[in-house]
Amino acid sequence: MKLKSLLLASGVLLAGTCNAFAGGYQVTLAGIKNNGMGGVGVGLSLDQAAMFYNPGALAMVRARGVQIGGNVTLARNAFVAEGSNMQRELRNSVVTPFSLYASFGPAEGKFRAGIAVYTPFGSKLGYANGWEGRTSLTDIDLKSVFVQPTFSYAITDELSVGAGLVVLAYGAVNLQRDIALPDSYGHIELDGKAKTKLGFNAGIYYKPSDKLSIGISHRSKIDAVVDNDGDVTFSNIPASFQSRFQATKFGATLPLPATTSVGIGVTPNEKLTIGFDVNFVQWSKYRELRFDFDQPINGSTTSVSKRNYKDALTFRLGGQYQLTSGLTVRAGGSYDMTPVPDGYVTPETPDNDRVSGTVGASYAFGKFSLDLSGQFIRIQKRTETQADLMNNGTTDRVAGTYKTNIVIPGLGLNYAF
Amino acid sequence: MYTITFRKVVPFLVLLGLGLTACQPDLEDEVKTSAGTADFSRYIAVGNSLTAGYADGGLYLEGQQNSYPSLLAQQFRSVGGGDFVQPLFTEAQANGTGYLQLTGIDANNNPQISNVAPAAVIGTGADTRTPLYAKPANAAANQNLGVPGIRVADVTTNGYGLNNPIGFNSYFERLLNNSPASYLQYVQERVATIKPTFFSNWLGNNDVLGYASSGGTSAPLTQDGEFTIKYNQVIDALTLNDAKGIVANIPSVTNAPLFTTISTAAVIAQVNATPIPPAQATMIAGALGLPGLPAGTRFALYVRTSSTTAPVRLATATDLILLPARAVINTPSATSPFPNGIGLEIPGAPAATAALLAGAANPLSNALVLDAAEVALVNSRTTALNNIIKASADRKGLAFFDVNAFLARVAAGGIVVNGVSNNAGFISGNLFSLDGVHLTPRGYAIIANEMIKTINAKYNASVPQLNPLDYRGVKFSN
Repeated sequence: MKLKSLLLASGVLLAGTCNAFAGGYQVTLAGIKNNGMGGVGVGLSLDQAAMFYNPGALAMVRARGVQIGGNVTLARNAFVAEGSNMQRELRNSVVTPFSLYASFGPAEGKFRAGIAVYTPFGSKLGYANGWEGRTSLTDIDLKSVFVQPTFSYAITDELSVGAGLVVLAYGAVNLQRDIALPDSYGHIELDGKAKTKLGFNAGIYYKPSDKLSIGISHRSKIDAVVDNDGDVTFSNIPASFQSRFQATKFGATLPLPATTSVGIGVTPNEKLTIGFDVNFVQWSKYRELRFDFDQPINGSTTSVSKRNYKDALTFRLGGQYQLTSGLTVRAGGSYDMTPVPDGYVTPETPDNDRVSGTVGASYAFGKFSLDLSGQFIRIQKRTETQADLMNNGTTDRVAGTYKTNIVIPGLGLNYAF
Repeated sequence: MYTITFRKVVPFLVLLGLGLTACQPDLEDEVKTSAGTADFSRYIAVGNSLTAGYADGGLYLEGQQNSYPSLLAQQFRSVGGGDFVQPLFTEAQANGTGYLQLTGIDANNNPQISNVAPAAVIGTGADTRTPLYAKPANAAANQNLGVPGIRVADVTTNGYGLNNPIGFNSYFERLLNNSPASYLQYVQERVATIKPTFFSNWLGNNDVLGYASSGGTSAPLTQDGEFTIKYNQVIDALTLNDAKGIVANIPSVTNAPLFTTISTAAVIAQVNATPIPPAQATMIAGALGLPGLPAGTRFALYVRTSSTTAPVRLATATDLILLPARAVINTPSATSPFPNGIGLEIPGAPAATAALLAGAANPLSNALVLDAAEVALVNSRTTALNNIIKASADRKGLAFFDVNAFLARVAAGGIVVNGVSNNAGFISGNLFSLDGVHLTPRGYAIIANEMIKTINAKYNASVPQLNPLDYRGVKFSN
């Protein structure tokens, strides 16, 4: 047991998510071990989190068991409107999301089955009261929970394949903003649940030698759809304007884009593992954010805001080293290219290229083992001028400069059968 | 063994804790402010009603508090600016000279506007008609020299602010202590007393506006020679101690809702399309001595102009009908069988018949129409005076804010501020107050920001802008 049991134990991992952590509103915090290694995992077979990173590698994860874990995501953002000297900071909001993995299968068999629960997309931000962009956004809370039954089969000792049925089991959006009236501000809250939707996650894992492994995986796009049954709630609308704000229901679609990844794992010796991943996310599907209302709001039953995201790449590098029989340490980092073009940054995702550094450790004792991870992510300073907004026809948002730092401690517990 | 585990874990958690507290990013470069080569420690503002904070057809406390000089002074404070004293009405006099308020929007989408009674009138002047307003307690320290109604043509007039039987400017009177001083002398006295390091000068509007807002019936347009001399005298007084400053020009009145809200073309089309009731047609034909009205005869919109040869004529799309005409057009008349503004037109009729029809019509009064010829006069005068203002600013190397070009852009395409659209439309546009010429607090805030941009560019400064959305448009909730 000890390290091996920890690294290879099967089970349930309660991985944390929420807030935007991999460009746009994508979140890649699926495994505490992976978190400590810059988020690599496609070319590795570390543990059950392979179901997220590369289902094809699951058959190579020998042990079975449960893992639980969680992350706490702490985002701190600074915003200064164009021409202003007032720095706005987020109202604090701590998010403690969850996800989970479990795998089953014969001890020496060629296949593994498993179930994964993870949250690959989400965002939660609460902007300062009275900030300059209040009519674009005051609060957003975007949640998604995917459930993924998974099957993986080792065709040979070197080659395994796997696939999972991805179920968008729960999706929720809460979006709030202020409404500019001539002499006051009203407020609108949109709150909706997404319909259950299906997709897939599939991968191939190839380990030609003890020192090298290669993986490729693909998660399909799923549209999160609020089917005209979301609730619209207005507040602080003076009587003289109420006739213009009568909508009660809304519909909207948010694409959760497809991700294709390739990864390489290198194991120079028994104690050291190094991974390198590249993710390609098809953000270009996110053209606009459109809301349809059952009754006109200020004269219109639709609200359309341009997004025009571009496909984006993420590069990840990380490794782990076994210090003692019980203790393994990890480190890594990633560079995440923003999908948001100049002139299209919105307060929901105050995005830019992201640089992250991660550390992690595991300790095994008996059938239990403990994983810890810490990540620091810097979303590079992003300035958007009013001229940018006018050139792109995107003046529905605010011109200014954003900078965001995110710290994510994570904790995982493993139990091997 | 478990002890060892947790001993190893604890420092790790402490490290994470340190990471958390160090997490808040700072945008230091963005929040840096600087006065550049300017010195904002003592600021005075010279101008007219716009500078005084006049709005909704009156001067009242809220407007004064949101005057653009007051907003500028507030922003100057972060770059070394000092206090800025304004001749405010007291809380008890908050309604000032009285003003217009919106009481509602009727079923036809027409705004209902009423008068708020004055609270600062303390009597009537020696001319038996000009109201006297309560004087500010801090007049000796005043830094906002905005005087509603003043023209550049008036700045050297002695007694302009003295309560006298011939007439006077009551807004200037309240700033003076029973003095026959001219406005120029007042500026010189303020400069000597306050020793300003920075000034703003937005004079000139009334040299055009007085003519335009009366439909070309009163207040002559100021001519180049007089304007040049007097404007330069004011600038010379302000730059006596080498103060730096910003100068703004005259926005074209034809972009203001007072002149743009009523679409003359739409009114003409509506009047033309109104059928003539048969009974009325018979009566009119009888009155004209005709057996019946010729085919094509229709109602038409007539205006009275300043022309000496043919003062009454058909309205054309290029005539500007002033906002107050909304309450007049097509209302019953005591003196004419035609409603106000209405007459008959026979398209293609001989000149003699057309003249006869014009003579019988009930035209809109001259004061309600800035006719096409007057519009052309106003525009050419605005251009000429703006050239003088620009030359005067350049002569002293001052910052120059082309508010005329700025408001023309706003009139053409609106202006989006922090995601909120504003435009030059009446009431709905957020920028112009209920008198259709002066601005709302939002409008003045946007002007203040544009001035700050101009000042920053000229003096290599970083004066922070304000958020215009913190300031209201037209007030709805009474």
